[in-house]
Amino acid sequence: MEDLTTRMTKVRNRRSVKGQMRVVESIMASLIVISAVTFLYSFAATPSSQAQDTSELEKIGHNLLHDIDEQGLLARYVYNSEWANITAALVVSLPTNVYFNLSIYDVNHRSIGHPLIQYGDQQIFNSSPAVASVTYIVTGYGMSYNPRILVLKLVNG
Amino acid sequence: MARNRKGQFIIIAAMLLSIMIVSVSTVIYGTVTYYRQERWEEYVTIVDSIKAASCNLLQVGLANYTQTENPNATRDYFNRWIRDVRNAYPAFGINVGYALANRAYSAYEISSINYNLGLARSWGQLTSYSASNATVSIDVASVGLTGYNFSSHVFLKMNIRDAIWYTKSSKRYVSIYLSVDKEGPAPVLNLQASNFPDVKLGGVSQVFSVKRYYSSEYSNFIYEIKISWDGPLAPSSAEVTLLDNRGIKTVSYTDSVLQNSD
Repeated sequence: MEDLTTRMTKVRNRRSVKGQMRVVESIMASLIVISAVTFLYSFAATPSSQAQDTSELEKIGHNLLHDIDEQGLLARYVYNSEWANITAALVVSLPTNVYFNLSIYDVNHRSIGHPLIQYGDQQIFNSSPAVASVTYIVTGYGMSYNPRILVLKLVNG
Repeated sequence: MARNRKGQFIIIAAMLLSIMIVSVSTVIYGTVTYYRQERWEEYVTIVDSIKAASCNLLQVGLANYTQTENPNATRDYFNRWIRDVRNAYPAFGINVGYALANRAYSAYEISSINYNLGLARSWGQLTSYSASNATVSIDVASVGLTGYNFSSHVFLKMNIRDAIWYTKSSKRYVSIYLSVDKEGPAPVLNLQASNFPDVKLGGVSQVFSVKRYYSSEYSNFIYEIKISWDGPLAPSSAEVTLLDNRGIKTVSYTDSVLQNSD
């Protein structure tokens, strides 16, 4: 009888130890997985959103001016002083939450004296932390060489 | 012993799982963010802008040459452009070089386009053309970019496919069918009557109308110039002057105006 009791106690103790080991192993395994995920997370720092915004806007602005130029419209708008048309072309081509200001200079960076070409309130440009600026050159129109420097400023609204 | 092996297995499985998570995540993260994190360097837009402007310069030079017959137009413009581009981007150390085409090239179904100072033209024939060709190099010292070369060309070709005269309701008409192509090659589809400043029959300027359509007969987009003709029975020749929207001019001519047999 005593023998049986002793044997049962030993079995119980063995099971108890086995269960504890399972718990310890599970905790260790969890710790390893959590460490891996934490390690990854520490490296997954996203780039500064402000720099990202500016970079994206620069791409958009440059591609937009390039596309309008490719269609042969940019030089026509600039040299024929079609300011309303250039404003409309930029407004319809840019995303709705992007505002712009376009300045046009001669090759010596003197303003050519055009009216304000802008979409969006001036306050947006003053208060925005990130303003993207794109410089684009048009060399001439028709048979006249007369370079113009276009500076397009873009902000997210 | 058996228990120990089981415990090791769980630990090893967890470690393998962790390694897999790290590896897969690294690859996915790198793929997703490769272009997103890449800095849109300012010089990329500058080089692209200079490239587009140089191509535009060829157009302006060719327009000047075809309208004023100034053979030095493109060379003069490039010389000014080299100086002006430094003023436009003063802090970048930009240096633009150019080499104008000065020999014969075969292109656009024309066996020999003879360039001189980057310019060429052949007018007064069934197929007439105006062309410009240059190789441009860009150096941007501030970012160590040197020897960026590209070739650029501008081309305009007009081909009189047919010129016929016919009688309809006791009135005589002349129709000139022509196709217009530019570099690419690509058909030019945005021409209006104002792009044809002069249409002559037998050397006399005419009033005309223009329409464009796709012709399965010619397998091309065709401009049909229609003239109400009250001269001699058959006009001796037809001449069409084209000035495209870039200001480039070309003149096609035929001395074969045939009667429509229909």
